[in-house]
Formats: sequence, C-alpha cells, structure tokens
Amino acid sequence: MVNEKEVVLFQGVDKVYNTGTVALSQLNLSIKEGEFISFLGPSGCGKSTALRMVAGLGEATRGTVEVFGKNPKAVIETSNDVAFVFQDANLLPWRTVLDNVLLPLELRGSDKKSRKETAISVLEKVGLKDHIKSYPRELSGGMRMRVSIARALAAKPKLLLMDEPFAALDEMTRQTLQMDLLNIWEREKMTVLFVTHNVYEAVYLSSRIAVMSARPGRLSNLIDVDLTYPRERTTAKFTEYVDAASQSLEHSMGRKELV
Amino acid sequence: MTVKTVPTNAELVNESSKLKVMKGKQKFNLKYLGPILALVIFLSLWQFIPALLDIKPFILPKPTDVVAAAVKDWHLLWPAMQITIFESVIGFILSAVVGIGISVLLASSRVLEISLYPYAVILQTIPIVAIAPIIVIWFGSGFNSIVIISFLIGFFPIVSNTLMGLNSVDKNMGDLFKLYNASKWQTMVKLRIPAAMPFIMSGLKVSCTLAIIGSITGEYIAGIGGGKGGLGYAITVAAVQLKTPYLFACAIAGALFGIVFYLIVSLVSRLVLKSWHESAMEAEK
Ligand SMILES: Nc1ncnc2c1ncn2[C@@H]1O[C@H](COP(=O)(O)OP(=O)(O)OP(=O)(O)O)[C@@H](O)[C@H]1O
Ligand SMILES: [Mg+2]
Repeated sequence: MVNEKEVVLFQGVDKVYNTGTVALSQLNLSIKEGEFISFLGPSGCGKSTALRMVAGLGEATRGTVEVFGKNPKAVIETSNDVAFVFQDANLLPWRTVLDNVLLPLELRGSDKKSRKETAISVLEKVGLKDHIKSYPRELSGGMRMRVSIARALAAKPKLLLMDEPFAALDEMTRQTLQMDLLNIWEREKMTVLFVTHNVYEAVYLSSRIAVMSARPGRLSNLIDVDLTYPRERTTAKFTEYVDAASQSLEHSMGRKELV
Repeated sequence: MTVKTVPTNAELVNESSKLKVMKGKQKFNLKYLGPILALVIFLSLWQFIPALLDIKPFILPKPTDVVAAAVKDWHLLWPAMQITIFESVIGFILSAVVGIGISVLLASSRVLEISLYPYAVILQTIPIVAIAPIIVIWFGSGFNSIVIISFLIGFFPIVSNTLMGLNSVDKNMGDLFKLYNASKWQTMVKLRIPAAMPFIMSGLKVSCTLAIIGSITGEYIAGIGGGKGGLGYAITVAAVQLKTPYLFACAIAGALFGIVFYLIVSLVSRLVLKSWHESAMEAEK
C-alpha cells in the first residue's frame, strides 16, 4: 500500500521559540503516502511542535516543512486535505455530537444537503450513530475521542495528524480505539502522523516509528515495523520491536543526561 | 428460614428512597424556613420597637404603617412602579444590545480594542450621578434622559464581561478553527460568541439591577410630575412632604422589582446556558 509519493517533508527544520527554547533541531524526515508514522519520544522533545508545523499552526525558524509539496499554510487555506486530532477531544461543549462533526463542513462551506449525510456516515464509522443528539458532557472520554476522530474524518482528509489522542484514556478503551483507527486508516487509505510517548502504542500502530530525543528535540532513530496488520501484542516479533523502540528511546534519553 | 427475615430488594430500595425524601424535606425545611423565620423576627422587631420607644411614624414607620400607606396611595404607587419598570427594562435592553454589539465590534479588531478598551474602563469609573445633570441638559427632563442614565449605568459591565468572554477562547479550539481556515466572522459567530455566553450572561445579571438604580437615580434628577414620575420621583416628593411611610413603600417596591427582574434574567440565563455549558450545570448543584 505504501508507494513513493511524498506527503510530508521536513528539511533541516529548526524551531526556536521566542523564549529561547530549542524545540527542534535539524529535523530531516520524508513521509510517504499511506504511511502510518509515529513520533515517539519523551515529553518536551518537540513532537507537538513538529505536528503543528505540518498543520500550518506554527512556522519553522529555519529549514522548510512541505505538505503535498506545498507550504502547510497554503494547504489548509485551499483544501480539506489535513485534519488534526487533539489530545483532549477539543469538542465545542455547546454543540451536539452531530453539530460538532458538522463544524468542518460548515466552515468549509460544503453543500448543505450532503453535509448531514457525510456527518452521519462518519459517525457510523466510529460507532456513534446512536449518540448524534448528545452533548459532549454526556459522553465518556472514549466516546468524545471518537467524536473528535469523526470530526477529523468528516472533511475527508488525506493526511491525519494526531497528537497523543489516546493518552488520557484507560487501557481498554485505548486498545479498542487503536484497532478502530487502524481499520479506518486501511479503509480510507490516508497518511497518518501519530504522536505518542507510549512504545507499545507506537509498535502496534505504526508502519514506521520516528524516535525523538529531547533538548534539543531531534530525530534519533527511524524504525520500520515490518509486521502485518492486525498485529498481535503477544508475539515474539512484536516484543522485539517494543524492545528495539524502548532501547533507542532510552538511548536518546541517556544521551540527553550526558549532555 | 432466614429468607423471610431478609427484606427484598424492592423493600430496601423503598426504604432508602424514603430516607432520601425525608432528608430532602429537612433540607427544604431549613433552606426556606430559616430565612422566613428571620424575616418574621425582623418584621416583629421593626413593628414593636418604634411603638415601645415611641418613635414617630415620619421618622421610622412601622411595617403596618408602610402597608397602610401603600394601600392608601396605591393609585399613585402602582403607576409610579409601572413607569420605573418600563424605563429600567428599556434601559437594560438598550445596554444589552448596544453593549454586546459594541463588544463584538471591538473584539473583532485588535486595533480598535487596544485603542478603545482603556477608555471603556475609565468611563466605567465615572460616577453616573455626576454626569446625569449633563444628560438632562442635553436630552431634557423626563423619559429620554432617565432611560439614557439607566442605559449608561448598565452598559459598562456588559461591555467588560462580553469582551472578557470573547477573549477567553480555548487555544486548541482557536487552532481548530484556524485549521479549517475559518473566516474572522465565522470564528466570531461559531466560536467566540458561544464561548463568551456565560460571561455575557453574568454581565446581564449585574446590569439588570444596575438599570433599576439608574432609572431611579434618573428620576431623582430628571423626573417630572403629572403622573409621569416613577418611583424615584415619588420618593423625592414623599421626602419633601415627610410622607415617610409612603417613601418606605416606594423603596420596598423598587427593591421587590429589582429582585424579580434579577430572577427573570437569571432564569433566562439558565435557559440559554442549560443545554450545554458546564458553569450553568455546576450552578445548579
Ligand atoms: N508556545 C511555546 N512557547 C515557548 N516554548 C514552547 C511553546 N510550545 C512548546 N514549547 C517548548 O518547546 C519544547 C517542545 O514542546 P512540545 O510541546 O513540542 O513537546 P512534546 O514533545 O509535544 O511534549 P509532550 O509529550 O509533553 O506533549 C518544550 O520544551 C516546550 O516547553
Ligand atoms: Mg505534545
């Protein structure tokens, strides 16, 4: 499924916040169409910073970030190709589930009639068809995250950015959502950039893992995960990848302590 | 046969719900009985102390004197109340509409907001009584001036609350709107105004009682007779004539109106916020 078309390109990207914090230093990475790539790294290593740049919500201090060969800002201004899922579901509390999912379609000014059908069909995909009239506060954390994913899918993105979307959920809910996310990914043939600090999650989900180290945030290792989907968490192969990812994570953190 | 002695589930549920009802009743009793009792004690003290100390009604009228005055002069009191109510409601609605409108305008332009907000704050500190005579000079005695005074006094709390609300939008939600390339206007209507709703509502609650203070103050200064003066005008007249019991009746009528007005605005606020907002939900607990 992975072909060679480039979706995201980081080229010598530095990010220095005006507080002086060096969030990213010399990030070089090319992400191909159809990949499920995870940014794995300790807190503060610049994962969110990198993701926000891809979404056009932040700019590189040096270097370039390209999405579909264009400037990320231009991409979000002209197309629905990029969607973002935030760590907390980030739903509007005054809107029902359905209206929350409708939001991107309203803002993008798509055809009024087809809007509702689209919204209902994505809600169906995430298993929330029976809750379209509920308000976010009436839902569990897992359901809210589903709504958030449905909202991201509503505008039919080609690139889905997810910033620790499952970090606040309990283990059971997280595993179900991971499974569902993989199904959606395979069905919709999107490219997914997924931020996590959970090694198991990274190995379970990703076709490739970008391990990052902190202070300054940099790419320390790239791991191709050659396991077929759906993956079994108990196989020796799976454990091997978890160990490899953990090691390079520890390595990257160890180096930080030496500096 | 121990089974028989064990109460069934249904019975248990029944028992516990009975207990809950009883507890609820006790709470209800204390919540309402306490204040009522306090009021009764207060009124009886008020009734008997002037009698005991032989205080003249024109210095401190007894509750019965006040009620008698209200009944006797009801044909004056009721029209005065209606006028004050009318002026306050108009003043309040004006301050709500203009206040919210101006806030939205200010908040949609960074330049406007930065340049004008300091003046909004300074204007707020001007004692309204001080500028009321100027308003009378400009707009003449009577209804217009009174409504403008009532409007002005309610206007600033609405502006400062609304502006605060419009600027309180969660950063992630703002990013969400940016990501979907929302226009300024879309962000205002679909994000900032709804997010500001709880702030706007608390501004309205403050302003509705201020609007009454404004109109009564306005009537002191710009009130006119001939059956067109409101409570404020009636109070000044009663004071001059030493009709103290009637003066008390007017003051109490104003206070009662204030309470009712506040309750109505609170109710509207709750209805508006009920469906979604957390603060309204918490306030209900
Ligand atoms: N707006 C900002 N202004 C200044 N510094 C920032 C800003 N945002 C992030 N930083 C800093 O940049 C560094 C990287 O932050 P970032 O949020 O990208 O990390 P992260 O890898 O996503 O961490 P976490 O796993 O905790 O979410 C941190 O040291 C952070 O304090
Ligand atoms: Mg982060």
